[in-house]
Amino acid sequence: MEQFKKKNLIYQILPLVSVSALILSWIAFSLATGGIIFPGPASVVRRILKTFETPIAGMTIIGHTLISLKRVLTGLFISCVSGISIGILVGSNRYLKATLGSFLEIFRPIPPIAWIPIMIMWFGIGELPKILLIVLGSFFPVMLNTASGISLVNKINLDVGQIFGGSKISILKEIVLPTALPSIFSGIRTSVSCGWTVVLAAEMMGAQQGLGLLVMKGWGINDMALVLGAVIIIAFIGAMFSYLLKRAERLLMPWNR
Amino acid sequence: MEQIKTKKVKVRNLSKIFFQKSSSFEVVKDVSFDVYDGEFLVLLGPGRCGKTVLLNMLIGTETRTSGEIHINGAESGKPSPAMSMVFQKKALLPFKTVMENVELGLKFQKIEKEPRRKICQKYIDLVGLHGFENSYPHELSGGMQQRAGIARAYAVSPDILIMDEPFGALDAQTRYQMEEELLQIWEKERKTIIFVTNNIEEAVYLADRIILLSSCPAHVKAVFPIELPKPRDLFDPEFLRIREQIETQTDLSL
Amino acid sequence: MEIKGNDLEKLRLDHKKIENRNIFKFRILTVMTIIIFFGLWQFVADQGIVDSRTLPSPAKIYETFLAKLTKKAPDGNLLSANILASLQVSLFGFFSAVIIGVPLGLLMGWYKILDKTLTPIFEIIRPIPPIAWIPIVVVWMGVGLSAKVLIIFFSAFVPCVINSYTGIQLTNKTFINVSQTFGASNFTTFIKVGIPSSLPMVMTGIKIALGNSWSTLVAAEMLAASAGLGFMIQMGRQFARADVVVLGMVLIGVLGAILSFLFSSLEKYLLRWK
Repeated sequence: MEQFKKKNLIYQILPLVSVSALILSWIAFSLATGGIIFPGPASVVRRILKTFETPIAGMTIIGHTLISLKRVLTGLFISCVSGISIGILVGSNRYLKATLGSFLEIFRPIPPIAWIPIMIMWFGIGELPKILLIVLGSFFPVMLNTASGISLVNKINLDVGQIFGGSKISILKEIVLPTALPSIFSGIRTSVSCGWTVVLAAEMMGAQQGLGLLVMKGWGINDMALVLGAVIIIAFIGAMFSYLLKRAERLLMPWNR
Repeated sequence: MEQIKTKKVKVRNLSKIFFQKSSSFEVVKDVSFDVYDGEFLVLLGPGRCGKTVLLNMLIGTETRTSGEIHINGAESGKPSPAMSMVFQKKALLPFKTVMENVELGLKFQKIEKEPRRKICQKYIDLVGLHGFENSYPHELSGGMQQRAGIARAYAVSPDILIMDEPFGALDAQTRYQMEEELLQIWEKERKTIIFVTNNIEEAVYLADRIILLSSCPAHVKAVFPIELPKPRDLFDPEFLRIREQIETQTDLSL
Repeated sequence: MEIKGNDLEKLRLDHKKIENRNIFKFRILTVMTIIIFFGLWQFVADQGIVDSRTLPSPAKIYETFLAKLTKKAPDGNLLSANILASLQVSLFGFFSAVIIGVPLGLLMGWYKILDKTLTPIFEIIRPIPPIAWIPIVVVWMGVGLSAKVLIIFFSAFVPCVINSYTGIQLTNKTFINVSQTFGASNFTTFIKVGIPSSLPMVMTGIKIALGNSWSTLVAAEMLAASAGLGFMIQMGRQFARADVVVLGMVLIGVLGAILSFLFSSLEKYLLRWK
């Protein structure tokens, strides 16, 4: 029993130890390199707070964060709605799979980031190309996962639907979609992280506001504290998305475990 | 007084062949039998061959290669509200609660929530699952899941209930209990039941008539009417005699 | 009534005919869709509905492709040099990520001490989009090969670790018990039971890593490179050569698809027992 308690204690302490080690090495590293190439945590915090006194491109850090969030959420909304609908169509109808599905397949291998230059050439650096890019980047995971989730349905469950007199649409709604829900969620998770990456890339390559812009700006004038600060906020929001999605999953699918 | 019994179901020369890449596999061969109104008919046959396919053809989820099926006098090939089915396992929708599963058929028939819930509650109580309306299948034992399956099949008020080895996946204890309970439910609400099993004891316990099927490909070997009163005693000499008689005629399966 | 020999044959042939007709039908639809797409594209570009400088036709892109094989304009490299540079950097980053990430993930998933120590650090690194590493790495290491490889390493590293970790955690407890009953040490069980059973998930993780490597490569080349397909696209934009841009996109897509296909074939071979 004593050994058990001791082991448990070690397991609880270890994460704290390693995270503290990480932060300490960050501080040490920044001190060792003179604090310019790699500012320590204190300077990063200070730099971020400074945007409240001297806004960049007219906005504080909160403003830029909100802009990036607004863009990504708009794009994600569009791609989830369209991705799920088209995924259902392509997954349940073989004709649509052969036509619409094949058409979309042509575009799938092109990484969303590769679309950025042509989008800028066609649409400039306004909001529209950014939203389009986010949609391009986040559409496929959710569509493909929806389509494959639909095909996962057990024959016996479809038989049950038939036997109890369900119309095709009723069976889709009551049986097929709930079965596909875990796959759809997995697709949404991937889409969200793709979308967040794309908005970042798009902002880094042509924007006037946003977290990506802050990164580029900081990089350009060698303000590494700004760069690190923006990156940390980006990572934090990414982690938030993951966490929220996990909670949503547990809420919407109470039968999973 | 001779009762003229109506034939609820007529099966004539039913066959099913599955075609693979270069071979064909006959699972059901020239099966013919009748099912009378209100009777408890048991199809008894060794495992792994043709029985489920036969049932699927009856209920309409599998196509026939040849032969005819008449339900209530009319030719039939598709699922209809006159028939419903209880499966062996994994047939409850895992993402729906017991109540939602049981009301599935009624929901498909576009019956309003209030009345349909009332009907379903009656059957959930009938099968002894009162209190578990909001549980998910994974929270229930095997026996309870089967009861939910029975409630679901009963809820749509079918004329004919088809049961595909419903107690096959249960442990012996639960199985005996379920057999007894099924007879009690059947006494309260009479339906024509077509029950499939590979267990001779179960067949003799439940059936008004037993149709003995051969092993692959399945065809009718013999028909045994059972006249004993229900509920039956598993150790009654007459019960055991009938059992033995059937046993000598059964094909061994692998 | 039994089904006689001749009737049986006829039934079987009918069945085969219907099956073949179905496969054929859908293949034709797929091919036709693709042809119609390219045809429409060519038509729209030819008819000048959209300015050809904005939307180059497929024919024009093919022309540019041939031209780039021998000319260095406008980005300063031959096409072959660009392709080679891209492949080099991405595959190097990819392979190092696999070699380091997969074993690390497997060990982390098996040994609780490593799990408790390393997972928190990993969870902190994980949400950082690889592209965000670019400025940091470049400031630290310059614009050379090693910087790009490191960035791609980060992007491929994460899925390798996660999938290996999850894969080995899902090892069937019954198999582990069997192994321990036979007296195998923890390490032997890890090697002989854990690792093989996690192989499918490891493969999936590597597949994801491959995709990530390829798309992060494009970003890295666009922001900090002097060669490569991403660089070529960026240059194409600077010189307003939409045809070069689209050529680059097409080549990136095609190469990515080829790499993906090669890996899937390898996966199918390794997992053929499934």
